[in-house]
Amino acid sequence: MVRKQTARRRGSGGSRGGGPRETLRWLGRGLAIVAFVSGVWLSSWILRLDRVVAERFEGRTFNVPSKVYSAPLIVYPGMDWQRIDLRGWLVRLSYREAVRGGPLEAGRYTWRPGELRVHLRAFDHPLRPEPARDLALRLGQGVIQEIVEVRTGESVDVVVLEPEPVSAFLGSDREQRDLVHLEDLPRHLIAAVYAVEDRRFEEHHGVDLRRVMGAMLVNLRAGRIEQGASTLTQQLVKNFFLTPDRTFNRKLQEVVMALIVEARYEKAEILEAYLNEIYLGQRGATQVHGVGEAARLYFGKSAADLSVSESALLAAIIQSPNGISPHRRPERAVARRDLVLELMRDQGYVSERGYRLALAEPLNVAAVTQDSGEVRYFLDLLSQQLPEVYDETVLASEGLRIYSTIDPRLQRAAARSLRSGLERIEALMGRDPATDAPLQGCLLAMRPQTGELLALVGGRDYGLSQWNRCTQARRQVGSVFKPFVYVAALDRRSGPAVTLASRLVDEPLEVPTIDGVWRPENYDHQFRGDVSVRDALERSLNVPAVRLGQQVGIDRVIAVARALGIRSPLPEVPSLALGTAELSPLEVARAYATLANGGRRPTPRSFVDVVETDGLAHENRPLEGSVPAIDPATAYLAVTLLQGVVDRGTGVRVRSSGMTGPIAGKTGTTDEEFDLWFVGFTPELVAVVWVGFDEPATIGLPSSQGALPIWTDFVRDVTGSHVRGAFPRPSGLEEVAIEPSSGARAMRGCPERQNELFLRGTAPRATCPPGVHPPGDDEQSGVIRRTLRRLFGP
Amino acid sequence: MIAIRDRSRLAARRRGTLTSLLGLVLPPIALLALLFVAGCATFGQPGRDEFVDPIRVSDAAQTGDPARRASIRLVLQGLDADTDGHTERAQGSYERAIQVDPTNPYAYLALARHYLDGYQAERALPLLDQAAALFEAEGMREPRVGVHLIGLRGRAMHASGQAADAIIYLDRAAELAPRIWGDGYLAPEELR
Repeated sequence: MVRKQTARRRGSGGSRGGGPRETLRWLGRGLAIVAFVSGVWLSSWILRLDRVVAERFEGRTFNVPSKVYSAPLIVYPGMDWQRIDLRGWLVRLSYREAVRGGPLEAGRYTWRPGELRVHLRAFDHPLRPEPARDLALRLGQGVIQEIVEVRTGESVDVVVLEPEPVSAFLGSDREQRDLVHLEDLPRHLIAAVYAVEDRRFEEHHGVDLRRVMGAMLVNLRAGRIEQGASTLTQQLVKNFFLTPDRTFNRKLQEVVMALIVEARYEKAEILEAYLNEIYLGQRGATQVHGVGEAARLYFGKSAADLSVSESALLAAIIQSPNGISPHRRPERAVARRDLVLELMRDQGYVSERGYRLALAEPLNVAAVTQDSGEVRYFLDLLSQQLPEVYDETVLASEGLRIYSTIDPRLQRAAARSLRSGLERIEALMGRDPATDAPLQGCLLAMRPQTGELLALVGGRDYGLSQWNRCTQARRQVGSVFKPFVYVAALDRRSGPAVTLASRLVDEPLEVPTIDGVWRPENYDHQFRGDVSVRDALERSLNVPAVRLGQQVGIDRVIAVARALGIRSPLPEVPSLALGTAELSPLEVARAYATLANGGRRPTPRSFVDVVETDGLAHENRPLEGSVPAIDPATAYLAVTLLQGVVDRGTGVRVRSSGMTGPIAGKTGTTDEEFDLWFVGFTPELVAVVWVGFDEPATIGLPSSQGALPIWTDFVRDVTGSHVRGAFPRPSGLEEVAIEPSSGARAMRGCPERQNELFLRGTAPRATCPPGVHPPGDDEQSGVIRRTLRRLFGP
Repeated sequence: MIAIRDRSRLAARRRGTLTSLLGLVLPPIALLALLFVAGCATFGQPGRDEFVDPIRVSDAAQTGDPARRASIRLVLQGLDADTDGHTERAQGSYERAIQVDPTNPYAYLALARHYLDGYQAERALPLLDQAAALFEAEGMREPRVGVHLIGLRGRAMHASGQAADAIIYLDRAAELAPRIWGDGYLAPEELR
């Protein structure tokens, strides 16, 4: 009891402000609690950091944007090498001009007067690989005279050049990288990085204490931060997980995470992650990360093929990719590269001789090529045509290689022609695009036989407006629709309602509609009385087109438009004949492609295949033929009518610009000149131009002065002034002389005659002079005709 | 009077000579004409004993402009690849041939044949139609072109389950070119 009281007294005495032992005890208890709480907090913090590290490393380490490639460029003797921009191709594919003699390594070329020698790199594709080839192209008289394989001296008939990378599906971070594996990289690249960034990487555990101490001494002496001591692991951690802030907290996190990374993963894994993550410069607005992409940016080659000197340069710019940019500050880049080479020699990574050889190597970096913004409109369409599994996230992260149908030469020409054309029209309108709403446009080109999209520019500036006016916008087409009316009328299924010898009435017309009487007028408000079918379309006369539409029936016109590939709603009204329907340029292109392709309708196609990171082609869209849509003979009649539009009609400016060869086309101007169209085609190319404002407003020009010059500029750029080939003429047609003013068959004694095409058996029976039997009416000549048909075919 | 009688006798004698001359000359002319007409009437439709030598792509290797020649060269490369069993490479070559010259009928024909080897009749048929249209447009309407179009169409029909119709086409192709189509198959080297 006494002892208890004593104890209680002691206790109460202590609590009253008592002895130091009690204080110490309480302090100790407090410290223990603090330590425990801190320990719990620290542990949970470290566990959290560990989870962050594990998630990042064991999940998808990098987002690799999918790259889009063009169709390959194919060259052959007889080809105009300037038109295909061979030199530009070399630059865009990062081929480098060889500065020394001797054997030409892959990716290099020499260009002397009359000869291009190029060592093509191998093109890696699971289905269509191409080997590396050392070729000499003899150039003369504007064309490739001969292609010779240098190794064998043999002539080569045709060479498929590697497709150009045209763009990529970047994520929100706008990072571009080409993943590399450590085992594929040259040892001297890794040595260069070790030498300048972290010489004890193989020894430390994430933090290099010797280097930290050394750096501290240097910085203390200097009175400011002069030297860093971050290891590769710390740099990786900083880039992967942390902000670039210079705070103690951030630095502490960096150190702890570096230790966690080292504890969890092998050195090789850390190094590979570092080499793929490190920021190494800019390609326009896109950040270039990793040595794989940097090797392509600066040297136009795979990282596996980097030389000692090139490796040293990449390692050199890690410190400040923009400050030591080989493109912008070559002298600084060379100085730092030389320093890296020196360190490599001092640390035993290269011999003295190797050092001297690398030091003597000139910089010789590849030119920077950026994708043009306009190609993004094509990419949007491409992503819509890809199967759904390739969504936005997958495209921005899975590193797919997508081989598209785009022809980069045509795409560049389309972008240039549209831009300069719109500027020209704005100047004529007296508008200032900086202050007024900009005039917009679309230019797309398609191969009629296959539906392959060769170029697509859906607007003036993708950065300002991503609305794709080639595929998303639907605008009134005006007279561009008229050929569909004529096809309906010329087709056998309508009788035919007319032939190319028929006369059409161009006189005032009243059409009853549910809104009252409609009185269509021609563009010039004139009536010509009586015109031929050719004249009516060549001059784009409205009244005969409306009459023709009424004659064959609007439902029949709609059926023909649908067969040609029009999918948008078509109003069943008389004014449809004048193009009051709102269509997209893409479907207009498809419909005209069907005419150009002998009545066979192609399916628009923007990609060929998708190659995934495992190197296998997982999505292949083989070339498919077109499907029969309208009678080939009728399609050909329409083509000849549209050739007349270009030769003599509203499209004659195409010819007056000096273009020759087979060209057909149609102008289209809507009411109040809100929309200007020109659709033109050659045997191998259909191109559509639309010009207008997003919010419809008057342009004040007809399409022949607005859209047509853009088309002409574009096509002349890509084909030259002379278009090759001919529109294929099918069977089922006959050529008969007619008297043009009456459309009667011209016989001996007829004062005027011209040849005209007819579906077999539909040539006029009335003759000029009247009453003469046309040949082929009697049985005997029928036998001869049949015999000759058997002999020479129908 | 004598003179008149003599003249009429002379005229009658002349008429007789002319008649006998015509009698001699006309039958062979008529026969020849008949043969000509008969020949013409059956030209292009060989009978059982008339075979055709079907077209080969190499026949066109030196024709046309540089683009056509390059395109033909790519078709030949494709046929070689098909012969060696490199089917994917072959397809790439045909597609490139079409890229260089989209109006080259041989490229569509060879690609259609290639698809049929891969049992893709639905892809082959439109290409055959395209080839036929382009051949026709180039004025190549003779049976040596037609035999491949008929035979390949027969194969496409067979592959898509239309056996009865397929046999008609394949039999006709075999009739026209038994050496090539006798087995109902067009090998890449036979088209080369």
